[in-house]
Amino acid sequence: MSDAQQVGGIDRRWVYLLVAVGALLPVLIPMGLPILTTPAVEALFQRVESFGPQDVLMLSFDYGPSSAPELDPMADAILRHCFTRGVRVVVLALFPLGGPNMAQGSLDRVTGEFSVEEGRDFVYLGYKDGAQAVMRRMAEDISAAFPRDHRGIPLKEIPLMQEVRGYPQIGVAVSLATGILGEYWANLVNAQFGQTVAVGATAVSAPKYYTYLKAGQMIGLLGGLKGAAEYEELLASAYPELRDRARVARRGMDVQSIVHLIIIVFILLGNVFYVLSRSERTRAGGRLGPR
Amino acid sequence: MKRQIPVLLAFLTGTFVVVAFFVSAPVVVGLNEKLDELLMIVTAFALPLGVVSFLQHHSKKIGRRSIGWRNSIVSVASFAVMASLGIVEPFVSAQGRAVGFNWLFDTVFTPLQATMFSLLAFMIASAAFRAFRVKNLEAAILMISAVIVMLGRVPIGKFVLPPSAALTEWIMNVPNLAAQRGILIGAALGAASMAIRIILGIERPYMGGAGE
Repeated sequence: MSDAQQVGGIDRRWVYLLVAVGALLPVLIPMGLPILTTPAVEALFQRVESFGPQDVLMLSFDYGPSSAPELDPMADAILRHCFTRGVRVVVLALFPLGGPNMAQGSLDRVTGEFSVEEGRDFVYLGYKDGAQAVMRRMAEDISAAFPRDHRGIPLKEIPLMQEVRGYPQIGVAVSLATGILGEYWANLVNAQFGQTVAVGATAVSAPKYYTYLKAGQMIGLLGGLKGAAEYEELLASAYPELRDRARVARRGMDVQSIVHLIIIVFILLGNVFYVLSRSERTRAGGRLGPR
Repeated sequence: MKRQIPVLLAFLTGTFVVVAFFVSAPVVVGLNEKLDELLMIVTAFALPLGVVSFLQHHSKKIGRRSIGWRNSIVSVASFAVMASLGIVEPFVSAQGRAVGFNWLFDTVFTPLQATMFSLLAFMIASAAFRAFRVKNLEAAILMISAVIVMLGRVPIGKFVLPPSAALTEWIMNVPNLAAQRGILIGAALGAASMAIRIILGIERPYMGGAGE
């Protein structure tokens, strides 16, 4: 085995160790790297920024625990933004494997920070199966899809829901989605009912949403932890009192920075060894001569 | 009749939903809303079907002592505990929350999923080192794009390769968008043609197989 092949055949446990150290160090020693914002995130932020206490935002938790590290910070940041501005929020969950727990967890984390009252400032409708049918049914009458909220209280008895009948009363619907649910919001709720929609998606799903964003079927897109960090950054810049609370994703970007660098270094090293071992093989073949 | 009635139902409902998209007459809208409610109920019935299939699969494995039968015992036991707590929760908080179910979800299910997905970071690094080889022009373009996007999506990219953020935006908004749009249009045309085949009874997946 040549030198290049020997170094290239490095034990994978060294790779794992380096990634572990690279992920751990920024957690122990935060780097505070600056976050650049993008137009897709700014658009949603500015839309919420234009809202007041008379407006309502619909927040759909369309993800489970596997996507929580990326999407939970988005949910928390959007809820904090709404409650800071007095924007009322209608929360629901359409993802069966943990959507309701994600919604409840986010509400538990954020509502305690503000003097908000359930039923007046926000309402949590709970979970309903049959995503597309639920989205269509909510167009004119949310109570047809969710007759009661998660506590079992009929919607007609909830003050906020007496004003909000369907999409016409919703300023923007934001879906934090894994899988195809976010696409339904764009290609069904927006296309069929004209509802303004924005989506927060995992980094691996984000590229497919650019088609909807450019077609005007979505007003904003938060892609992965980066999208969450951008929203946190915009929030912290506009409301300095939230800087210490809205920072989970921003701190996570330090970790992602180092791990991405490690992966890039490994890609480059792997190719250097590949080129070297190939040229060594060619030279060895040249020395042997033609058979 | 066993064949004709399901095919006729699929034809009528499929055609009606397409027509309802373009017609705003109150009768049509009302009936369409009823169909949506029916869909929610039918979708909910898929869950018990999944449960039966899950139990059949694992009980067979346990009964035959097939490979991994001990894992099947864990699966069935986990299902029984979570389902029981989900249906009849003995521990309910003052706010009406299911304490036992949520405790298991938050302390067992969530960390297990987090662990599985966290392992991806290690696998990707190892795979990148071993498999991401520039063997031809296409692989070179892919690798350069990947490196730019990986740098452009993290704050440190600004220091390593200053134009990476702008280049990433361009990659996402131009080549990525073009490819995604092509895939999406292709998939939509495929879905539309499949829908027509189902409405016309040429494809009958709801009867357990394709048509003749």
